[in-house]
Amino acid sequence: MSGRARVKARGIARSPSATEVGRTQASPLPTSIDLSNNEASSSNGFLGTSRISTNDKYGISSGDAGSTSMERGVKNKQDFMDLSICTREKLAHVRDCKTGSSGIPVKLVTNLFNLDFPQDWQLYQYHVTYVPDLASRRLRIALLYSHSELSNKAKAFDGAILFLSQKLEEKVTELSSETQRGETIKMTITLKRELPSSSPVCIQVFNIIFRKILKKLSMYQIGRNFYNPSEPVEIPQHKLSLWPGFAISVSYFESKLLFSADVSYKVLRNETVLEFMTALCQRTGLSCFTQTCEKQLIGLIVLTRYNNRTYSIDDIDWSVKPTHTFQKRDGTEITYVDYYKQQYDITVSDLNQPMLVSLLKRKRNDNSEARLAHLIPELCFLTGLTDQATSDFQLMKAVAEKTRLPPSGRQQRLARLVDNIQRNSNARFELETWGLHFGSQISLTGRVVPSEKILMQDHICQPVSAADWSKDVRTCKILNARSLNTWLILCSDRTEYVAESFLNCLRRVAGSMGFNVDYPKIIKVQENPAAFVRAVQQYVDPDVQLVMCILPSNQKTYYDSIKKYLSSDCPVPSQCVLARTLNKQGMMMSIATKIAMQMTCKLGGELWAVEIPLKSLMVVGIDVCKDALSKDVMVVGCVASVNPGITRWFSRCILQRTMTDVADCLKVFMTGALNKWYKYNHDLPARIIVYRAGVGDGQLKTLVEYEVPQLLSSVAESSSNTSSRLSVIVVRKKCMPRFFTEMNRTVQNPPLGTVVDSEATRNEWYDFYLISQVACRGTVSPTYYNVIYDDNGLKPDHMQRLTFKLCHLYYNWPGIVSVPAPCQYAHKLTFLVAQSIHKEPSLELANHLFYL
Amino acid sequence: MPNRKASRNAYYFFVQEKIPELRRRGLPVARVADAIPYCSADWAKPVFTPLRKPGMLVPKQNVSPPDMSTLSLKGDQALLGGIFYFLNIFSHGELPPHCEQRFLPCEIGCVKYSLQEGIMADFHSFINPGEIPRGFRFHCQAASDSSHKIPISNFERGHNQATVLQNLYRFIHPNPGNWPPIYCKSDDRTRVNWCLKHMAKASEIRQDLQLLTVEDLVVGIYQQKFLKEPSKTWIRSLLDVAMWDYSSNTRCKWHEENDILFCALAVCKKIAYCISNSLATLFGIQLTEAHVPLQDYEASNSVTPKMVVLDAGRYQKLRVGSSGFSHFNSANQEQGSNTPIGDYPSRAKISGQNSSVRGRGITRLLESISNSSSNIHKFSNCDTSLSSYMSQKDGYKSFSSLS
Repeated sequence: MSGRARVKARGIARSPSATEVGRTQASPLPTSIDLSNNEASSSNGFLGTSRISTNDKYGISSGDAGSTSMERGVKNKQDFMDLSICTREKLAHVRDCKTGSSGIPVKLVTNLFNLDFPQDWQLYQYHVTYVPDLASRRLRIALLYSHSELSNKAKAFDGAILFLSQKLEEKVTELSSETQRGETIKMTITLKRELPSSSPVCIQVFNIIFRKILKKLSMYQIGRNFYNPSEPVEIPQHKLSLWPGFAISVSYFESKLLFSADVSYKVLRNETVLEFMTALCQRTGLSCFTQTCEKQLIGLIVLTRYNNRTYSIDDIDWSVKPTHTFQKRDGTEITYVDYYKQQYDITVSDLNQPMLVSLLKRKRNDNSEARLAHLIPELCFLTGLTDQATSDFQLMKAVAEKTRLPPSGRQQRLARLVDNIQRNSNARFELETWGLHFGSQISLTGRVVPSEKILMQDHICQPVSAADWSKDVRTCKILNARSLNTWLILCSDRTEYVAESFLNCLRRVAGSMGFNVDYPKIIKVQENPAAFVRAVQQYVDPDVQLVMCILPSNQKTYYDSIKKYLSSDCPVPSQCVLARTLNKQGMMMSIATKIAMQMTCKLGGELWAVEIPLKSLMVVGIDVCKDALSKDVMVVGCVASVNPGITRWFSRCILQRTMTDVADCLKVFMTGALNKWYKYNHDLPARIIVYRAGVGDGQLKTLVEYEVPQLLSSVAESSSNTSSRLSVIVVRKKCMPRFFTEMNRTVQNPPLGTVVDSEATRNEWYDFYLISQVACRGTVSPTYYNVIYDDNGLKPDHMQRLTFKLCHLYYNWPGIVSVPAPCQYAHKLTFLVAQSIHKEPSLELANHLFYL
Repeated sequence: MPNRKASRNAYYFFVQEKIPELRRRGLPVARVADAIPYCSADWAKPVFTPLRKPGMLVPKQNVSPPDMSTLSLKGDQALLGGIFYFLNIFSHGELPPHCEQRFLPCEIGCVKYSLQEGIMADFHSFINPGEIPRGFRFHCQAASDSSHKIPISNFERGHNQATVLQNLYRFIHPNPGNWPPIYCKSDDRTRVNWCLKHMAKASEIRQDLQLLTVEDLVVGIYQQKFLKEPSKTWIRSLLDVAMWDYSSNTRCKWHEENDILFCALAVCKKIAYCISNSLATLFGIQLTEAHVPLQDYEASNSVTPKMVVLDAGRYQKLRVGSSGFSHFNSANQEQGSNTPIGDYPSRAKISGQNSSVRGRGITRLLESISNSSSNIHKFSNCDTSLSSYMSQKDGYKSFSSLS
């Protein structure tokens, strides 16, 4: 189906002014001609629309597919921007070799595939102009593609720029065509550039080609990914169906062009909006039906199966019925019922249903007023999961069972995709005309770095599994704990009993950890947030070390108001526990242990350490997050270690009013952290390693040019003679590659501590992948590290191992975490501030992990 | 030792404060008694502790406290009696720039305030936002849900925009003459301005209110009083306080009943509380129920921004200098005595709380320092903080015994 059908299906109600098509692509022409052009283009306005019914004549469908994906390709440009930032060449010690050598080699299979093309492969970029000028892109494409010179060539065209894999004979080619109205249009195709296969533009074109290919495998693009509606996975007991699909991309890895694919699922509900409405009406009755209906439906995303597009419900128009008419773009009036009959051969059965209204996304550079689409509830399927559904354990379990594919399942799906691409004649033809050849799956050698020992107070423990050492250290004393003498427990009448029993348990557990907990003052309060806050205000005096609140419900206001008051107005560490959690009798001990550990940290204690061979090393974690209330506020969390053992932290959160995800305030933070370090260690750290998380696509340049200088200058200013050496590492939890180990003829998740620093990495960066988490179900995802600045000159081996060690130091979990601890701390801090506090926490708490 | 306390006169505290400095000079002083010979000469001098360098101790302090030497009671009177109006209008979200209607006013709150009298009157009303532009219902609903939670339709409390505006004008400007200045927070100014204009359009009443920002007002008052400009951070921390979020008689009835924090009236009242709490006290005004919600205040005065701002020696000085504080203090003590907690005698309880913020910081600082190996350079720093802590805490006691 062509794009036009889509547009029409939305039943667009456009104002006349909005239909004027801007001729932004028009090439500069002499003004005299321009006038006549204006006439032509305005008359073409109707030509464009009336003509398209003859799609087939011009073979528009293929061209259309090319052009729409081209548009998407431009949107994804940000991804490619990062590629031009070559950070590795500035780092002398890794210029020749960035791979480590320590550890046990392990053979890994990846989700990457070779993409072969001839050595001399080139892409030719042409510019196409039309005389007289045409406004309709569709018409431009149709006219160009009808020419025999181009018909059997591999091409991608967006209406102005044409990419070909083979050069045309002439540098400037002139073609002419006749429109159905008998107008003669002259087209001039001028060669602009010849691009080698390594050019970023080529990568874009490769991505466009693969999008085309996936469409040819009858997959539909929803968002960025492609889904296959014809093979749904049904979960009938929850009225859900899952569309299997893939996220794909093509890019240059270490030396080769590789295609990567990852399995993805789209969750759909087997229920139309109309069915939902009817059920709701029966439940609630007519009296308050419209209100509840609006409350429940507005904001949801629906999918219309006739064109496999998604829309968000922004409003419900109760006054419009399917029998009403709307104006098509060519000006004719048609009822919704007739329209769907004509266009999709769908009969609308309920003629009294209201219409859903969706606000369409505005095109770039388009300042016209908002466009609305009316949708028929009967034809809209609900997608995604409601909050109610996500809190349903059984449902989530059923979904997880289907979506969390184990490595073997993933491998099978990949194999099938590759098979399909190679067997489908259309897809193969597309590849072949471009001169590409789909190659084999990449397998590479990773290394498993040795596991770490956990240092407790009087014991060095070698955990059975780094994933969870809570059992291994159960009998050991923690490194350092302040005794808790004066503290409060706030609870309601109902929870008093459970609070008492929990307290006993807590004191017992804490005692065995080496954490002395005295009997607190227990204050009973009413069950409302105001009562809790008043009690806190009334009873917190200077001697109180910690306030524990046993919250009667998980209503957000309890937590938010208590945290807000106790972290900025009156800075005292606080611990909130849900009464429901304490009611789980069988788990009391483990809950108490976890809470005791959190409380120790909140009082400034240290739980465990790992061996860090580098003396005088400060590690810093930075993360950013948007404030939940005011979207234009960025919350930047920074956490720095302040002792050589990396067990104590200085945490600070800064709110900045900017629209970008770039931190402005790093100098303030770094200066503070270095002062702290100096205070405790009477010297400045010799090395500083900064882990920066929360970096999006296309931000690498800003990071290198804006954040790194901030860090550097604060480090340089802190000392006059020898300044600390700095490294900055970008941490990304989401990355395309996945790794599997081959074992007993099946594939499995790779072991903890697997490092990959070849083939799946990028040549222009000093980067590596590290697997530092365990997936009990499904496939583990590696964490991607990119060293963008490095004065330290650590060997890649050491950098990788240090990073692995740091993943062990997150005190909220007795096991390894997916990112280095400072990053996880910074994330936790920003999350607390963005969700609950909405302002900078008091600096008096900065020495404690008060946000755990 | 019952009589020990009686022996603590002003000189005792003066000496105690001096001890760290003497120690730094290398003198063997263990107790106050040892230090007395070294201090006598200084006692004769007028004591004016210079500003301590803004340290890491209480970072909020890097706002320079008011310079007491410029304290004058002349010209204050006009300022004290001056009437300000704080206004806020809530909207159901903000619509994108291409829309003609940018905001949908739904609640208005306004208070009449003077430093002397506190909140003199308040005005509150819900506003009928009118028809929600087609297609933006979700947007508006989401914005409402994340803040004031006023229903976007079928809310019968909403009044007609023209009526509301008329009532507001009647509230602000009951008698002919000059219109008083209206203030709102700078973040809200665009919205409030737009809504006022929009409502005026609907009602065809033309009166361009002069809308100023509270931040500028605070700067103005501060400047007039202390002849210097306060820092932006200080003003922000002064106005952005969560302690009154749940205070009684602050939110409108509907928001109070539904226990929702975001209320247009509460925003205005909280501005008044903050200004009372931090600025009015500087003028020596006795805080009343109209200034701050006193019943909640006694428990939480440990965190009044002013307390945090002042340093120990200065604080003592200030209290002796201005009579307003003693009233303020005694008012609190009466209430404080109802809830005897902690080891302090009830009269001294407030002072103990006053040191809360700082005291904790110091104990922690001391702990952290004692944890790390000793460092001569830093040790002096810790000593001074210790002294300020001690003297402050005891200073209060002495003061309460004086009053």
